[in-house]
Amino acid sequence: KIICLCRMSVGFIGAGQLAHALVRGFTAAGVIATHRITASSPDTDLPTVQGLRKLGVNFTTSNKETVDKSDVLFLAVKPHIIPFVLDEIGPNIEDRHLIVSCAAGVTISSIEKKLRQYRTAPKVMRCMTNTPVVVREGATVYATGTHAEVEDGKLLEQLMASVGYCTEVEEDLIDAVTGLSGSGPAYAFTAVDALADGGVKMGLPRRLAVRLGAQALLGAARMLLDSEQHPGQLKDNVCSPGGATIHALHVMESGGFRSLLINAVEASCVRTRELQFLADQEKISPAAIKKTTLDKVLQQPGVTAEGVGVKPRGISMFSSPRTKKK
Amino acid sequence: MSVGFIGAGQLAHALVKGFTAAGVIATHRITASSPDTDLPTVSGLRKMGVNMTTSNKETVNKSDVLFLAVKPHIIPFVLDEIGPDIEDRHLIVSCAAGVTINSIEKKLLQYRSSPKVMRCMTNTPVVVREGATVYATGTHAEVEDGKLLEQLMASVGFCTEVEEDLIDAVTGLSGSGPAYAFTALDALADGGVKMGLPRRLAVRLGAQALLGAAKMLLDSEQHPGQLKDNVCSPGGATIHALHVLESGGFRSLLINAVEASCIRTRELQFLADQERISPAAIKKTTLDKVLQQPGVTVSGVANGSGKSGLSLFNNRSPGIKKN
Repeated sequence: KIICLCRMSVGFIGAGQLAHALVRGFTAAGVIATHRITASSPDTDLPTVQGLRKLGVNFTTSNKETVDKSDVLFLAVKPHIIPFVLDEIGPNIEDRHLIVSCAAGVTISSIEKKLRQYRTAPKVMRCMTNTPVVVREGATVYATGTHAEVEDGKLLEQLMASVGYCTEVEEDLIDAVTGLSGSGPAYAFTAVDALADGGVKMGLPRRLAVRLGAQALLGAARMLLDSEQHPGQLKDNVCSPGGATIHALHVMESGGFRSLLINAVEASCVRTRELQFLADQEKISPAAIKKTTLDKVLQQPGVTAEGVGVKPRGISMFSSPRTKKK
Repeated sequence: MSVGFIGAGQLAHALVKGFTAAGVIATHRITASSPDTDLPTVSGLRKMGVNMTTSNKETVNKSDVLFLAVKPHIIPFVLDEIGPDIEDRHLIVSCAAGVTINSIEKKLLQYRSSPKVMRCMTNTPVVVREGATVYATGTHAEVEDGKLLEQLMASVGFCTEVEEDLIDAVTGLSGSGPAYAFTALDALADGGVKMGLPRRLAVRLGAQALLGAAKMLLDSEQHPGQLKDNVCSPGGATIHALHVLESGGFRSLLINAVEASCIRTRELQFLADQERISPAAIKKTTLDKVLQQPGVTVSGVANGSGKSGLSLFNNRSPGIKKN
């Protein structure tokens, strides 16, 4: 049963890289019209804000306006900003709202805890995606919160599947996914840069080398996705006896190539868990929050220092001292 | 236009799958030949509707564009065998790593005054129409021949013309490149599994992440380093991961790989050009099968009796002896 997204409105709290990439992907997929998308950010100087405006998105500096105009609400801000945002928009959340947090390391539990000060059954989901959504080849996983329905999951999946691969997972896998496909594009960009260097060293012009390197990676990944075969089998198939490729593979193995990639996935996952732990500890010094961001948040109409939980010494991230906002 | 493949192995199979998926040529216009009918790719080709034969001559007669899709050391045997059957219309496209246009033309000039030869280096993702192909044009090939080949190969991925001297480097980069990617994907999946993901999901996410990143790069004017910067937020998970990659010399390993593959390609080319390879270096079974073909004699494939080596590109007898 396909849920009609045509009357749905989507909002983005945050107008940075992630919001921009998702909007570009969604509009390229034709899954939602730009006039049904609102995005907000206190910082209007971001280059992505320009990009979003050009795409026809309703842009505002008011997070509350985004909430009011949306049914599905993506939280596309940095993890340490999430609690401020939740305190700000909490009172404006209605029953219809589906809150989708894209913030690495921020648990569904912490978000629900915050929002329950304002509503009894906030519908929360958590997703981990990646930047290739911008070319509709993203990798997304999502986990469902306590009060989200099956249809909410299907709705999110439909949206995210329009911009790449999407599947539901248990929340405890999301940090590992961050390490693998969340950070994965960075590993690939680094690899293509190095492969191109190799090509240039052996005589190729730079542009051609980058092109061939990227195309080789893309083609191989596509072969693997379309095949039932093990990556090792596919590797065997391209290594003819005594040939050039097996010579190359030997030098890679000698340098511990595989181990480096396992290390990378692990390091990213471990750091994600670390950031989550720091956030859960519920105390971050004001200096750890980019002061300019905080200032801008405080400049918004209707937002007070107590309202976003700022205390003179230390900021309580997920524990709001007051139940009501001024 | 009809297309023929001398050789019915991985490369022929991948190209045919790609061409037919692209709809650029009908399978009944494709012929492929191989002495070895047991190859799994042979039944794959048959199933696709390709005309299969054990006779290379039949392939030549039925084709306009002729792909040489055999291993490099087999090329000279094939050229001697089909040389007499080449007509003016034929465009010979060699896909063999390290085999120069010059060596092919030299062989064929014994049979025709202006053999049209081209050389290409492609890779296996042509099978999913995401190949990377470069080609170089021989002495007697026309501009239209280049355009024709480019049209064919562009239907199955990226294709561009290059000077022949770049082809070994391309072999090291995009020829061998898929193997580097499969190895990386295996390792990334291991990383995911180590951190708790089920294997299938880990393989899927790893492949999707690489595919998406490569597509972003191809669609963007930006430097890969800039794209990398864009996904590394301050103090975040990704920059931590990148640090461990750099600490281990990740980039250097990939440069080494491209270099090693390129050097080995040049080495194989040098050995071939030396024009002497011991019979033991040629897989004996392959030689036997080639010799079993109708019309092929021992002297015809330049294996002078009593001589200790095989002369690959130096045909001592002025003409092939036919039975």
